[in-house]
Amino acid sequence: MGGGVIDGGLKQRWQSRFREWVNRRIPPARSVTLDQRRIFIFPSRVGFFFFGCLLLMLMAAINYENNLAFGLTFLLTTLFVVGVLHTYANLSGLTIHAVRAQSAFPGQQAEFELRLERGKRRDHYALHLKWPDSDEALENIAGEDAITVRLHTAVGERGWYNPGRLLLESTYPLGLLRCWTWIDLDLRALVYPRPLSSPALPGLAQDQPDGTAVPIPGSDDFYGFRDYREGDSLRQVYWKGLARGQALQSKQYAAYADRSVWLDWDMFEGLGTEQRLSHLCYWAITLDRDNEEYGLRIPGVVIQPTWGDKHRDEVLRALALHGVERPR
Amino acid sequence: MTPEQQVPRNALAWMILCLFTLVAPHAGRIPFWVLLVYVVAVVWRIQVYRGHWSFPGRWVKLALILSATGGIFLSFGSLIGLEPTVALLLTAFALKLTELVGRKDAYVLIFLGYFICITEFLFSQDLLIVFYMAFNVLLLTTALVALHQPGEQRFNRSSLRLAGVMLLQAFPLMVVLFFLFPRIGPLWTVPIKSHSAKTGMSDFLRPGDVSNLSQSAEVAFRVEFDGEIPAFTDLYWRGLVMSRLEDGAWRSLRYWDVPPGERRAPVLDTSGEGLEYSVIMEPTQQNWLYSLGYSRSATSGVMELSDYRLYSPVAVEQESQYRVQSWPDTRRDPTLTDWRRTQELRLPETGNPLTRELALELKTQADSDQAFVDTVLNYFTRNPFVYTLQPPLLGDDPMDQFLFQTRRGFCEHYAYAFVMMMREAGVPARIVAGYMGGEVNPVNRTVIVHQFDAHAWAEVWLDGQGWVRVDPTAAVAPDRIEWGLEQAVAGEGSFLAQSPLSPLRYRNIDLINMLRLRYDALTYSWQAWVTGFNSEQQYEFLNNLLGEVSASRFVVVLLGTWALVLTPVALSLLMRRRRHRLAPEDRQYLVFCERMARMGVVREPWESPSAFAGRAARKLPRFAEQIDAITARYEALSYQPGADSDERAQQHRELRQQVRRLQLAY
Repeated sequence: MGGGVIDGGLKQRWQSRFREWVNRRIPPARSVTLDQRRIFIFPSRVGFFFFGCLLLMLMAAINYENNLAFGLTFLLTTLFVVGVLHTYANLSGLTIHAVRAQSAFPGQQAEFELRLERGKRRDHYALHLKWPDSDEALENIAGEDAITVRLHTAVGERGWYNPGRLLLESTYPLGLLRCWTWIDLDLRALVYPRPLSSPALPGLAQDQPDGTAVPIPGSDDFYGFRDYREGDSLRQVYWKGLARGQALQSKQYAAYADRSVWLDWDMFEGLGTEQRLSHLCYWAITLDRDNEEYGLRIPGVVIQPTWGDKHRDEVLRALALHGVERPR
Repeated sequence: MTPEQQVPRNALAWMILCLFTLVAPHAGRIPFWVLLVYVVAVVWRIQVYRGHWSFPGRWVKLALILSATGGIFLSFGSLIGLEPTVALLLTAFALKLTELVGRKDAYVLIFLGYFICITEFLFSQDLLIVFYMAFNVLLLTTALVALHQPGEQRFNRSSLRLAGVMLLQAFPLMVVLFFLFPRIGPLWTVPIKSHSAKTGMSDFLRPGDVSNLSQSAEVAFRVEFDGEIPAFTDLYWRGLVMSRLEDGAWRSLRYWDVPPGERRAPVLDTSGEGLEYSVIMEPTQQNWLYSLGYSRSATSGVMELSDYRLYSPVAVEQESQYRVQSWPDTRRDPTLTDWRRTQELRLPETGNPLTRELALELKTQADSDQAFVDTVLNYFTRNPFVYTLQPPLLGDDPMDQFLFQTRRGFCEHYAYAFVMMMREAGVPARIVAGYMGGEVNPVNRTVIVHQFDAHAWAEVWLDGQGWVRVDPTAAVAPDRIEWGLEQAVAGEGSFLAQSPLSPLRYRNIDLINMLRLRYDALTYSWQAWVTGFNSEQQYEFLNNLLGEVSASRFVVVLLGTWALVLTPVALSLLMRRRRHRLAPEDRQYLVFCERMARMGVVREPWESPSAFAGRAARKLPRFAEQIDAITARYEALSYQPGADSDERAQQHRELRQQVRRLQLAY
């Protein structure tokens, strides 16, 4: 048992040592161009199998004293040597840009978007991309200068999700050598709080109804059209009109702005931080779905009541980042 | 299966192509049904690809392997030996295709293909075969490259081109390795070609054998002399010395025929001028090597036997090269041991009574052994003997029949009759078989010896002279000895009668002859430098080239030449970045952005110049004016075309100055 613990400790030390070394060698960056500092190369498993075959061929050449067999064996050996350069060149000069990371709720898959750009007019094949916990992508850059790659990975708890180092590897063109790199693209996905339903909004803080008729969503009565503005919910868009070839318009509904809801930290007296945030998150989603106007008031952040996708994202972001330091 | 493990369609197509091109040169050596296995395997795999059939199950595969092995055993009568092994390998190669599912299987198939290329070289090292196999290696490498182009389903040329480029880059490295790699002897015995026919002179000479061999236009060996080429009439290439007549056929003394004390070849005091030459033999599957007169060889694996011929303990299975020093004038065996004398006088108890009688009768006319030799030769000249490539078949007492009835014979008839008469009369004599003459190639001054130069003559032992060469054929057909077979049988029209297409028959057409000789010269260089390259030649070559043969020199040369080749390859691959030629205003703007970044405002990739300028100006109010001015000028230069070039140049200058001022100001 004791040995195992020591081994484990040693292994961990080694791993952390290695991580530090890689961090120093390939520091995090939003765009990484691969060069000799970042690319590693080593014979693949197939490469070792190939060595075995070469040894067999060499034995045949020696035992039959056949110079052409020698020649072919050496040609394949040197093909391997030349292959080192070609395999290396398949990754070299590639630039990987972190484009964006989609936000997600805990347990969901976040989508990470990357852009791979080639440095010169040469085709890159069989680029295998993967984060430690993500799905895999196998891409070619042939005949175009850049491609977009989307990878998905299940995210953890609220806050910033760091997918770790991206593994980019390729064995093109011969499969005998494996060329790879681990890059930290400084790409973080925002993870919202886990929504936790509560039957009713406790202590609903209602502002005094002022009785002004304003067009707000969530009401039943159709009021009119206006040009689409950024932030309008897609549910309001007058799709039929668009289909008829008219400009993009939003439908307006009239109601009395008799209430705008404040989602308040203090509504959930006596609960823990995470639970409060979860409930707030649930209500933010619910109110957004119902096209209600709502605002957010949590320690350090006040967001004025309004509506729309942009607003919702802003609210969720504030909830996600409550008490979270800037991403490291 | 992950997409990475899948075999792209074009890789599959390349592999199927390889399958056929690789088996083609072997087609003559393997049973016909193996070719059918290839067709079935390919059809099966294509049907699997199209979704009509499925991959063979485990039991089907087992049955296929067992029946293939059984079939090979039945076809060859054994599984041991080179041919059955290769046939088995080729069958396995085809069967592997039917179970080619993922990339792993494809690797096995392709590497097996490389190995099959090597097996072809064990059978033939011809120049044309080498070109063909190089083409196969290219196809296999193309398949390997195509295997790593996922999603490239179309049959494209990019994989072919890359494979070609890589092989061309590898080639010079290979050449260096080829000449430097030490040639050590075989590590263990390997299955040999049990089924190939022995070619050339055989150690079993009956009347009619040499004339049969002389129908062939194949090359027996090629010789390159260090100095002048000796006269045609002196080119007696000794291969076999036949001292024993048994059951109507002559043969040489085997190792166990010779008592231990007689086995070692005596080292003679040489006399006369020496000749130095190297011989490259075509494979014969036999052990005898050819040389002129008394010879020694420094090549490893070449033995000198007590009857003064060169011998290779292992059969000559592929083109091989040896160096010889000869002293044709050296006296061989000044004295004969009793055992040797007995051997060289031995005749069967009975048979050919008329010949024996004739010998004893002629002997009484001669007062010495030398005179007796002349008398017998004279006998051939005086009587109406005919030198012919088409001698009649002979019966039980062949020499009686030949000397007194048919009188038509080829060289072996005359040698046989001559030696028999010598021995009967008490003069030690033996038959020597080999080749006589050769064609001098004016292109590279080599002597090409063909199978039709095959010849048999005699050696007699004369007191005080040792073994003396006597060619009874010369007494009958002097043209054969002076000009060669073609002239000797010109009247008969039998020269190469069975090979109407041989270019040797068209030697009178200059163009064909020149092409033939040029190709032969190329073949010679190929054999001398590639297929026949051996440890002696390597030592000599490297010694001349490097000054000394040492490990440190090897390493320096290897690394030096590799660096010489690999550096330009690496540069062409890695350094030739496609530089965007930036417009001057863009260049200046990037300098500006760098400056800003150092001041703490980093432009985000999506930020327009004006948005960035706004943000930067808010953050660095001290420089707001400059930032705005630079941005405005940059935008003007970028987005307002039409200004004439002078004006633009002026604007560029101003932009540069503005940016520089900003740099200085900070």
